[in-house]
Amino acid sequence: MSLSSEYLLEPEARRWTSAQIAGVLLLVLIVLFAWLGPLLIDADPARQQLARFLEAPSLAHPLGYDQLGRDMLARLVHGTRLSLSLAVVSVLSAAIPGVLIGLLAAWCGGWIERVLAAFADAVLALPGLLLVLLLAAFAPGGFWPLYVGISLALWVEYFRVVRAASRILLASPQVEASRLLGFGPGYIVRRHLLPALLPRLFTLMRFGLAGAVLAMSALGFVGVGLQPPTPELGVMMIELLPYYREAPWLLGAPVGVLFLTLLGLLLLSPQKGQA
Amino acid sequence: MNILSPDAALRVQDLSVWHGQSALVQGIDFSIARGGVMTLLGESGSGKSLLAQAIMGNLPGSLRCSGQIEIDGQRSDAADTAVRQRGWGRRIALLPQEPWLALDPTMTVARQVAETYELVSHPAADTQDDSLRAARKESRTLAGQALASLGLEDAADKYPFMISGGMAQRVAFLATHAAGAPLLIIDEPTKGLDADRRGEVLALLQAAQQQGMSLLCITHDVWLARALGGELAVMLNGCLVERGPADALLARPQHAYTRRLLAADPACWTPPDAPAGASASRSSPVIVEVSKVAKRFGQQALFSDVSARIHAGEIVAISGPSGAGKTTFGNIVLGLLSPDAGQVTRAPGLARTAFQKIYQDPAAAFAPAVTLRQSLRDLVRLHGLDWQRLEALLARMRVSPALLERLPRQVSGGELQRIALARVLLLQPALIFADEPTSRLDPLTQQEVIALLVEEARQAGSAVLLVTHDADIVRCVADRRLHLGPAAQPA
Repeated sequence: MSLSSEYLLEPEARRWTSAQIAGVLLLVLIVLFAWLGPLLIDADPARQQLARFLEAPSLAHPLGYDQLGRDMLARLVHGTRLSLSLAVVSVLSAAIPGVLIGLLAAWCGGWIERVLAAFADAVLALPGLLLVLLLAAFAPGGFWPLYVGISLALWVEYFRVVRAASRILLASPQVEASRLLGFGPGYIVRRHLLPALLPRLFTLMRFGLAGAVLAMSALGFVGVGLQPPTPELGVMMIELLPYYREAPWLLGAPVGVLFLTLLGLLLLSPQKGQA
Repeated sequence: MNILSPDAALRVQDLSVWHGQSALVQGIDFSIARGGVMTLLGESGSGKSLLAQAIMGNLPGSLRCSGQIEIDGQRSDAADTAVRQRGWGRRIALLPQEPWLALDPTMTVARQVAETYELVSHPAADTQDDSLRAARKESRTLAGQALASLGLEDAADKYPFMISGGMAQRVAFLATHAAGAPLLIIDEPTKGLDADRRGEVLALLQAAQQQGMSLLCITHDVWLARALGGELAVMLNGCLVERGPADALLARPQHAYTRRLLAADPACWTPPDAPAGASASRSSPVIVEVSKVAKRFGQQALFSDVSARIHAGEIVAISGPSGAGKTTFGNIVLGLLSPDAGQVTRAPGLARTAFQKIYQDPAAAFAPAVTLRQSLRDLVRLHGLDWQRLEALLARMRVSPALLERLPRQVSGGELQRIALARVLLLQPALIFADEPTSRLDPLTQQEVIALLVEEARQAGSAVLLVTHDADIVRCVADRRLHLGPAAQPA
């Protein structure tokens, strides 16, 4: 192709779409809320004042008190922080080994790749939540089984995506040329593989974060996740469900935060023509 | 050429294409008589593909066009693309460049052709099940006949990735003209094809013309322009600089650019004073010895029992038909592939990076997300070289330093190939394997790149293993030839 393609390929600054800006803003607000909140709200999320149970919102306590007379805003702030940090940690601890093992498989090929791929397929055959439930059965209510379970369920997709994309790249002329020029594995990963893989990993991680937050809430909701009185979004939902008639704002608060977090993550999706 | 002839298949008046305020294509006037052929000759970036897109009415959104276009008696404003888009397939059709990329990889060949018969040729098929089924059956029969007429009956049930490039081109041709468009625009039909395939394309186009079709052929291939005959127009920087009957124009080009373009055709190159270099290199040391190598892919034996000695500083052309394993042989010499039998022995004392490769598609040989400057700086740092030397090399390659700030896909193929050459020469290689280094480039750029490759390699004392489908290039630059084929013997 001639001129036309050059015009299409003009170096354009990659612009953020308004949806993506909204997503970033939303996530920044949620993170600020979760991390700066405890500094601004002078209330203990665990302190019970039974006399004030289900007290309606007021200026001093914008979300009122829950069924045990605990400050709801304080609980929400702590719950959001716990859920988000658990999600980030489990996604990172799934992504990092997933990417490394994927690169290893693509690089080595042969029986190493076949063994790793078979192992990944075996993990994939188990539904993710089932894996977490299995682990949770050993140590009910603990933090570690949740974290390990979610990571174990999530690393496979990073492995598969990285392996498939790297295999194609490693066989491509660009990598062949770099090898002939004397560059080693580190350079090829840094300059050839990572730039091509990062956009895909970013997409996977967004979905992974949303999935981890949801999974944790679901586990809390069915009672195998974190246990009361820990303020966690899912646990709060199950605790507050019986009171949704008397005080709908109480149940609305964790549901709303969860909804906004997921919305923020999904709004970041690359738009048509990007990625 | 009579613009006022009432009997024109295509008439273009004052057609311009704009990007903002700048004209990319300017004031084009021409017409093609019914059954006539017109060839547009020009290099990449001259605007010939844009002209074709403007005529079709599918310019990229950031461009606009002005002027008048008349197709088969139907006149429309160039900017009014909807009129012409309604005629796609019926009044006007486009055979895109590298047509194998235009076929649907998930559909069999016969279905793709039948689809045009069914959906474009008879769009009026009413919704009654019976007639729909009848139309579908009929279109399948028609597609079968069409495929048979071009000797493709065996390919009917295959998928596009299972057939050769030449076959894919014939399939795409059938699919584009199945609905009977009397005017066909063909974009770079011979790009990247070897001499045999070029002959097939020519036969296809001549057959189409004999059936009464009018052709507008866009190419940088002087050979094709000469063979097609008819009218010829030469395009430069968005303008037609010269126009006339092909034979007369090619025999007596008036414009300086046309003359340069014709001189750049490898058929017109004069062999340099090579013999001196050749005899010298024969006595120089052997840098790699290939003895009795064989390679097969699956059941298919590519070659066997090939032996060769490559001496320092000589230029060896690898020739052979398509699929003879020329690239595979080169990769074996480089050590990228191991042969099934036989041995490749490098001269002792050569550095690990002594054997380098130049690729057919230079854009595929650079990390796409890294600027050229960064790539080159990485290389200089890795080997502890001097950046000044690279700058001197780039200057000899006539590469402007400003280009280095760009990403590989943002520079032209010719520029990138020269940068690739500089990158390779920087390592002072003992051997450069150049795999079809210019088959995707324009004639002028091709001439320049080949000349630079030969000149720099001779100066640096590097041997060159050159794969090219162009016998004229081999004749002009190679010291000797290594033939691969069913019964491969070094010549």
